[in-house]
Amino acid sequence: MAQKKKLGFTVLSAALAVSALAGCSGGTDNAGKPAGTGGAKEASAPASGSGGTGSGLDTSKKVELQFYMLGDAPKDLPVIQAEINKLAEKDLNATVKFNYTSWTDWDQKYKLLLSSGQQVDLIFTADWTQYQSYAKKGAFQPLDELLPKAAPKLNGFVPKDMWEAVKIDGKIYTVPATYKEYVTNGFVYREDLRAKYNLPKPTSIETYEAYLDGIKKNEPDMLPLASTSNPVSSLSDPFRELTRDPVGGPLPYGIGIKYSQPGEAYSYWGSPEHLEELQTMKRWMDKGFFPKNVLNNKDTLTDQLTSGKAASIFGDNPTRFNDSVIKIASTHPDWKLEYYPFPLSRGFATPVHPIHNGFAIPKSSKNAERALAFYEKLVTDKQYNLLTQYGIEGKNYTVENGYYKMVGDKNSNGFGREAMNGWAWRNPEYMLFDKGYDNVKKIFSELDKIQKPDIFTGFAEDYTSYQAEKAALEQVTKQYLYPLQAGLLPDVETGLKTFLEKAKQAGLDKVQGEYKKQWAQYVKDKGIK
Amino acid sequence: MDSHTNAAGSMGPGLRTGPQPRGRGEAVSRTRKKRGIVHELVTNRILFLMLLPTLIFFFINSYIPMVGVYYAFTRFDFGTGLFDAPFVGLENFKFLWTSGVLAKLTLNTLGYNLAFIVLGNGLAILSAVLLSEVKGRWFKKAAQSILFLPYFISFVILSVIVYNVFNYESGFLNTMLKGFGLDPVDVYNTPWMWVPLIILFYLWKNLGYSMVIYLAAITGIPEDYYEAAKIDGANIFQRIWHITIPMLKTTFIVLLLFSIGSIMKGQFDLFYQLVGNNGVLYNATDILDTYVYRSLKVTFDVGMATAAGLYQSLFGFILILSVNAVIRRINDEYALF
Amino acid sequence: MRIRDDKYTPLFQAAAYLFITAAALACLFPFLLILSASFTQNESIIRSGYHLLPLDFSLEGYKTVFRFPEQVLKAYGVTIFTTVTGTALGLFLMTMAGYVLQRKDFKYRNVFSFYIYFTTLFGGGLVPWYIMMTKYLQLTDTYTALIFPGLMTPFLIILMKTFIRSAVPEELFESAKIDGAGDFTIYSRIVLQLSMPGIATVGLFLALHYWNDWFGSSLFINDQSKYQLQFYLYNIVNAMQFIAQMGAGTGVSLGQDMPTESTKMAMAIIVTGPILFLYPFVQRYFVKGLTVGAVKG
Repeated sequence: MAQKKKLGFTVLSAALAVSALAGCSGGTDNAGKPAGTGGAKEASAPASGSGGTGSGLDTSKKVELQFYMLGDAPKDLPVIQAEINKLAEKDLNATVKFNYTSWTDWDQKYKLLLSSGQQVDLIFTADWTQYQSYAKKGAFQPLDELLPKAAPKLNGFVPKDMWEAVKIDGKIYTVPATYKEYVTNGFVYREDLRAKYNLPKPTSIETYEAYLDGIKKNEPDMLPLASTSNPVSSLSDPFRELTRDPVGGPLPYGIGIKYSQPGEAYSYWGSPEHLEELQTMKRWMDKGFFPKNVLNNKDTLTDQLTSGKAASIFGDNPTRFNDSVIKIASTHPDWKLEYYPFPLSRGFATPVHPIHNGFAIPKSSKNAERALAFYEKLVTDKQYNLLTQYGIEGKNYTVENGYYKMVGDKNSNGFGREAMNGWAWRNPEYMLFDKGYDNVKKIFSELDKIQKPDIFTGFAEDYTSYQAEKAALEQVTKQYLYPLQAGLLPDVETGLKTFLEKAKQAGLDKVQGEYKKQWAQYVKDKGIK
Repeated sequence: MDSHTNAAGSMGPGLRTGPQPRGRGEAVSRTRKKRGIVHELVTNRILFLMLLPTLIFFFINSYIPMVGVYYAFTRFDFGTGLFDAPFVGLENFKFLWTSGVLAKLTLNTLGYNLAFIVLGNGLAILSAVLLSEVKGRWFKKAAQSILFLPYFISFVILSVIVYNVFNYESGFLNTMLKGFGLDPVDVYNTPWMWVPLIILFYLWKNLGYSMVIYLAAITGIPEDYYEAAKIDGANIFQRIWHITIPMLKTTFIVLLLFSIGSIMKGQFDLFYQLVGNNGVLYNATDILDTYVYRSLKVTFDVGMATAAGLYQSLFGFILILSVNAVIRRINDEYALF
Repeated sequence: MRIRDDKYTPLFQAAAYLFITAAALACLFPFLLILSASFTQNESIIRSGYHLLPLDFSLEGYKTVFRFPEQVLKAYGVTIFTTVTGTALGLFLMTMAGYVLQRKDFKYRNVFSFYIYFTTLFGGGLVPWYIMMTKYLQLTDTYTALIFPGLMTPFLIILMKTFIRSAVPEELFESAKIDGAGDFTIYSRIVLQLSMPGIATVGLFLALHYWNDWFGSSLFINDQSKYQLQFYLYNIVNAMQFIAQMGAGTGVSLGQDMPTESTKMAMAIIVTGPILFLYPFVQRYFVKGLTVGAVKG
């Protein structure tokens, strides 16, 4: 008990220290009093109405928690839910309903769930679900005071620097996942074809281009590289990640920030760097590396690669590369895929930021304490964790020599590995992996040797003051920059000029200026050099 | 179901200020007109009762949520209700003209919709008339079913097929052209081609649907009209021109008026799926709905989305009021309201 | 007695056959492509596109859709239930409304028509409607949420009104009233009998709306056993599209591969099939139009 209090106190003083700093540096706290002081009294006061757990959690009233996750529910979810509820009722006097948004319009639904005020007690967060913006706009409840009281074990389980990393304006709004993974890009290419035609191994733009040239020459019916209707994610982002030393990203509004000089945000659009990128893409288009109508192509990257239509993917992450390998092993055993992670040529790799997977408690929740206590069980209690990640042992999976093995196949098994999309409550101590995942682990351990922290994702942009310009810019980008990024325009320089003119009309300068200002503030606050 | 113990009783701020349905027959009679309403409702109470479910339905499903129009003038906030959110005036409308494309988008939306209305109805009437004159029963039934098929093909799937027909390297079209020794055409990088193409796909998809409406109307025309005309020696063209077409006028005007009210609301799926990310074609194919969708996908701002919708609504509202007034002048029968 | 056709009729008939046949072919062709693609191996579609006959025959698209057959059958059940209930209830309410609104002696018909029409012009948008449905009406995970919103549309009500007006002569109302028939009796005995083609048309449109609806499930249903068929199938495809759209940076991997293209096409066939069987059933009500051919022999 005393220890728990102590822990709570450390977190609090950390919070105080940060907010005090923010206050000094003329930060975001305009209320005049440093954030967090209001709670200090409450937390140190004895908890009221302790209903049995002894950690200051009141479980006298039975509640049903509404739990929301993205994606599709597995078929056997009701079975698992019943099992979990048996446990949760005994432990916390609570039951939980696991709801899934499905992938159809998930982003719209996510917004509705948070803005409608209906009861949602726990919801998934990530950088790609715009956790930073939502937290900044007040969609979630701050957890700093709740954690030591309702989830002391979880509070200690998550390392302190991770709690620090997910803070937005000095407060914790989400419980980060502690499993370390990499989602950095890398070349995925056909090793069998490369060896057959004696082409160089892709490790840079030059060698990759030589590989593509060789494929074009020897396999005229194949597309040298797979591309989709989004030239940003399938061409521009990998290009920049490999050659421009970006701090993280993808960076918006044509901002460029180098990892080696995080203090200096510059305008990438229109720079010689940018022109060179666009000219490269033009050259690739002219050489026929990807189809002329790429902007209307609806096939996925992976499909193009595994069906043999394309001979490489410009940038993909280790896990997805491994999925392709497993798929090809059964359909085309004579093919061979290889992977070259960009970090190897950059000299360092950044593991995912703690914001990348987490769970938050929305404003509308009336059971914040119980929700947090339940989430603690989900992460730290082995029984809860294994049930929700892998299903029922013996029925859904077995463990062989420490490896996860599915019972039956995906057509008969109603609960596969991580079927609940439980990325956020993975617990490294309990995790089970497929045998096939060893490849990914090998890549990860290689990247571990050269890891550096992600200094970008903790930045929470506040676009309230340039919302209209941001929206207008979105249109201009699609209309004038996409065709350039796909190498479609005959004259790159004129095209770029036109795009910049239009972007300036839409308010590019204002957007970039504001963004740079906020970034500079962030860098200063975090003491990033 | 989740149990809202304390939220169930309290009505949200938005629910108290909804428009009151007119003429609920309260005993407050101040003017003669009011008494007129009461009197009317008593004499026609059965008719009114038959209409009541409809009135209630639209009150709940449409009029209550209409309060949300106010979002267009506020900055959305998670912490506060609708009416406590900060009022920002016309701030949310700004993104519509910031990029200077509003005029173009408005023109595109209007132009396409006009083409859809005129050509769509024209083709539907033509097909319905022809089909009603065809003698083969089996042919008639089969043709109707087949013409309805495209209605079920979602635009997602249509876009995939269109890509397969028109893409530069391996599309049907260019494979054929090359076969004849002609130069391939790069359809996806030629904006003007998409104007007729999009109209064509619209017609193709909706022909079966709108044809059924006219077919039902033709079916409703009493047979003896035609018999009498035949006896008078009218040939088939005269019969169609003097009997069928006039009898379809009412239906056509109803459809027309309906389309006019939503003339600023585009066929989002059609444009979004067929054109997608291809910015090269935007000048010729971008409409308000696709523009708004793309712009707000990043910020997802409720206020801005509502503002855009309001712009479309106001435009249609003014137009329909004027058109309906003109039609009422000419013939009360045909007016919508 | 038979009246002889004029000399233009055969010419006209030939032109009509030609035109309709051409239009039908244009409508049939893409559908055949889809049908063929649904029986083609996914890889083959991605490598070499669509053909009128499957290049590499495979059932994998259907296998994906029917991975857990009980789920599809359940979704079929939900869709059939909402379609039947919604169409029956909606038709009843809309025929009544249409009938009342076209009665010339109903003084405020224009006011009420406007009240109905106005809802097509202005809307509060998705958010307030969603809040009302979930928070105030508490319709999450109920069949009501799937049936209620689509019960009536202004378009169909006004269409119904037009059909009734053109199908039932004004004199009939007069004489029925003189005979002492009540308003409801006139509706149930006369109007319903005479405007069958119109009712069939409106019913068809309403049924189509319910059959094709996935939005209701998307917004209000969390319980998988209450998914509508369209949504259940949509989801299979959307999961793949989502993965395609998200960059590698999200690190989301679903750990299950699905044949995407062939699945999409199989889905289209599964959804369309049953409705095509329903359509001839509706056509029976266009009887009068068909007697033309019978009379002419």
